[in-house]
Amino acid sequence: MPTDLDNSSTASGEASVSSSGNQTAPPKPTTKKKRNLPGMPDPDAEVIALSPKTLLATNRFVCEICNKGFQRDQNLQLHRRGHNLPWKLRQRSSKEVKKRVYVCPEPSCVHHDPSRALGDLTGIKKHFCRKHGEKKWKCDKCSKKYAVQSDWKAHSKICGTREYKCDCGTLFSRRDSFITHRAFCDALAEESARGHTQTPTQTQTEVNLNSESDPKDQSANSPPQPTPQPPVPSQATTSSVPSQSAGLLSSPMPITQNPVTELPENPTQTMEEAPAVTGPKGNCSSSNSSSSNGSTSSSVFASLFASSTASASLQPLQPPAFTDLIRAMGNPDSTTDLAPSSSVEPISLGLSTSHGSSLFGPAGQERRQYAPPPQPAMSATALLQKAAQMGAAATNASLLRGFGIMSSSSSSAQQESLQWSQRQAEPDSASVAAGLGLALPCDGGSGWKELMMGSPSMFGPKQTTLDLLGLGMAAGNNPSGGLSALITSIGGGLDVAAAAASFGGGEYSGKDLARGS
Amino acid sequence: MDISLFSTNNKEANFLQQYSNQIKINGLAAIDMQSTNQPQNSHTSTSRSSGSSEPCPAGTKWASRLLMECARAVSEKDSSKINHLLWMLNELASPYGDCEQKLASYFLQALFCKATDSGLRCYKTLTSVAEKSHSFDSARKLILKFQEVSPWTTFGHVASNGAILEALDGETKLHIIDISNTLCTQWPTLLEALATRNDETPHLKLTVVVTANIVKSVMKEIGQRMEKFARLMGVPFEINVISGLNNLGELTKEDLGVQEDEAIAVNCIGALRRIEVEERGAVIRMFQSLRPRVVTVVEEEADLFSSSVNHDFVKCFEECLRFYTLYFDMLEESFVPTSNERLMLERECSRSIVRVLGCDHHDHDDKNGGGECERRERGSQWSERLKEAFSPFGFSDDVVDDVKALLKRYRAGWALVLPPQGEDIDQTGVYLTWKEEPAVWASIWKPSN
Repeated sequence: MPTDLDNSSTASGEASVSSSGNQTAPPKPTTKKKRNLPGMPDPDAEVIALSPKTLLATNRFVCEICNKGFQRDQNLQLHRRGHNLPWKLRQRSSKEVKKRVYVCPEPSCVHHDPSRALGDLTGIKKHFCRKHGEKKWKCDKCSKKYAVQSDWKAHSKICGTREYKCDCGTLFSRRDSFITHRAFCDALAEESARGHTQTPTQTQTEVNLNSESDPKDQSANSPPQPTPQPPVPSQATTSSVPSQSAGLLSSPMPITQNPVTELPENPTQTMEEAPAVTGPKGNCSSSNSSSSNGSTSSSVFASLFASSTASASLQPLQPPAFTDLIRAMGNPDSTTDLAPSSSVEPISLGLSTSHGSSLFGPAGQERRQYAPPPQPAMSATALLQKAAQMGAAATNASLLRGFGIMSSSSSSAQQESLQWSQRQAEPDSASVAAGLGLALPCDGGSGWKELMMGSPSMFGPKQTTLDLLGLGMAAGNNPSGGLSALITSIGGGLDVAAAAASFGGGEYSGKDLARGS
Repeated sequence: MDISLFSTNNKEANFLQQYSNQIKINGLAAIDMQSTNQPQNSHTSTSRSSGSSEPCPAGTKWASRLLMECARAVSEKDSSKINHLLWMLNELASPYGDCEQKLASYFLQALFCKATDSGLRCYKTLTSVAEKSHSFDSARKLILKFQEVSPWTTFGHVASNGAILEALDGETKLHIIDISNTLCTQWPTLLEALATRNDETPHLKLTVVVTANIVKSVMKEIGQRMEKFARLMGVPFEINVISGLNNLGELTKEDLGVQEDEAIAVNCIGALRRIEVEERGAVIRMFQSLRPRVVTVVEEEADLFSSSVNHDFVKCFEECLRFYTLYFDMLEESFVPTSNERLMLERECSRSIVRVLGCDHHDHDDKNGGGECERRERGSQWSERLKEAFSPFGFSDDVVDDVKALLKRYRAGWALVLPPQGEDIDQTGVYLTWKEEPAVWASIWKPSN
């Protein structure tokens, strides 16, 4: 049982780790967590630590006749048959052969820890090359470099053949044009505002003020889990979680839904997740945004969920949430006020999301049309001012950013407030929007996913796969296969549903969906 | 809407073209007659390197011949000739026609300004008109479209980004000082590169120094988008915009807010040419005082500087005409004829042309009259200036490959030209060429010693 997760070394790009690991880990539908901790080997497995040299040696097993080298003994044995030499294939006796797992030779790597060893030699080798090796394979066409030849080959086949599609509908054949466009496209502006609604903003100050991102920010990749209150009793795992927000933590869904559940989560990890849980459960955001010790609990899943909130906005139940937000802002301690309204709300949220995004394709537009006009309980100016004061007090960030922090409390509410701010055409509304966006993930991997999958129609399998493949390859730290990519996306989709459901208190629906996968 | 507008314009242009073809014959005959009388004519026509590789194959280069003739007349203050030629150019020129007609139109404007001493007023009018019709939306469309069809700007971006990423590799606190009017279009790909790097994503502070009013007005919006995008990419990011300056010469080290522990890169894209000629050395020394790890300099390849020192209007005019002939030809082949973006770019040129040719030198000293200086220098000239404070640094093979890969994706006609190896160590930087002619120069500089 892995109890000593490497807490400090997870700093850079959990996403990359999980993606590169995905190929070796059996593609399991990880419903809840993006961070499915690739390599959670059988505790009884024999841990093999190879030096980089040995690991990268291509021909460790050499035929004494023709000097041909093989990567695996099995292959050599098969080869020896051709020379009529004695050969012996290892018997597949589960008794006799102990399962082997391999650790990454790089000490700073998460997979250096035996508890995160990977299950096969090729996997660890590729991981080592990709993450710690020189990228010596370069695509002629786009100049992108790869450390693993097979990655390069796969890319070369498809380079230039696929198109990148922005949410706005524009197609790009070139990745850099796409990236540049994406940064300036209105689709991003809308989306990140939406995405922001899902993500806890408390790390904003850290992101902006600290010279380096807190490793915790990145390691705590667990998705935002707007959870119902009171805490669902069934998850004992979280009972030990140190709560930042006055014990209001409820159980993180991932644990229940993760197939790895049988492996007990280790305390460290749970701790990492804890702040993440507090954040999005932003009913109490006004208090936790100031007290948080910072974890960006965003992920693929966050962004997925983010996009899916378009559906949430279709629900007629927002004004209450919005009002609650205002109440919450007015009274930082009134966290419980929100709980009822949000938990009463939408089982339907989760269900509707599960139908797939095609429903919400033009969500951005629809949202505008269908969302009922917000009924602010406080005047616009007052709200802004209030938020500004609180923001300033809490974070020293700019006033408008402060608003962003505050209003992250409830996804639907914030969305409303965003719309509202746009509608009001306040001179500063743009800034507000920026503030709202501030809580986006500070984690590279998830950012990517969001970029890739940002399309509101992301759940349409076709497009998701395409985008994932194209960008996944390009990004170099994403799932390396279409299958796993698809699975990831499906998992993400379910996450969304689960999160939406849990947000509304619909634990049932979330589980249901997970099972449905 | 736009299309219908343009189609009318094109009809008009076609009409003008037909009409002008008749006049052209007369006009050229007149010029030819004069050229026999004036020996220096042949000198100028041969010295124009673009004479053989014809950028606008539609017709002969009637525009440049007429324009040069007119420039000489202006220089000689031969008013009857000036009137005659201006009249003729006016008949032939059109901002909606082919390259020749466009060149004729915009350079005629500059000549007229020069002849009537109304350059500054004209420049201000043009600028304010442009500012009024300017918005974030149009600016974004313009610059993205331009990047899509031509490597004119992306060349410098890719080269500079590559150099910056390499120079700041391994640093945890990056501070890029971006002196450009490129609306941050350089940075998304850099952010993406940072985000997908193997090591820990560093903190990036971006200080954007903008002087053009047009750009200032949209920087707020741009800054917000950059912040959002950086979050999306997972790059800890901070952006500051310095837009209070009338002139880059006013920029001080303090403005830039550099800190001890930052690894600094100074990115100058079309920036040096906007500094008043007299202040260029000082600004470069100010850069030096920032102790940057790297300075990237990208400039359009034209020498509008030496001639201004000598007050040689004809020479300056000729070089300016050469450069914009290349540029208009590039636009012609990159954009569809009805492109609104292309028209906007050409109008930008028209302002620049009036600024350089239509305004007297003393106008440039008028700080409040301000605007962009536009006195371009060639790469070799910039190198001389930069070598006072920095040492040239070669582009790595990787970056060169990146640039080559970039150019492959655009239409034929573009090439990357590297300095000859070993022969001339004074050669610095790399050139983007359009039809064999150097167009844009990119270079890397690091502190001496």
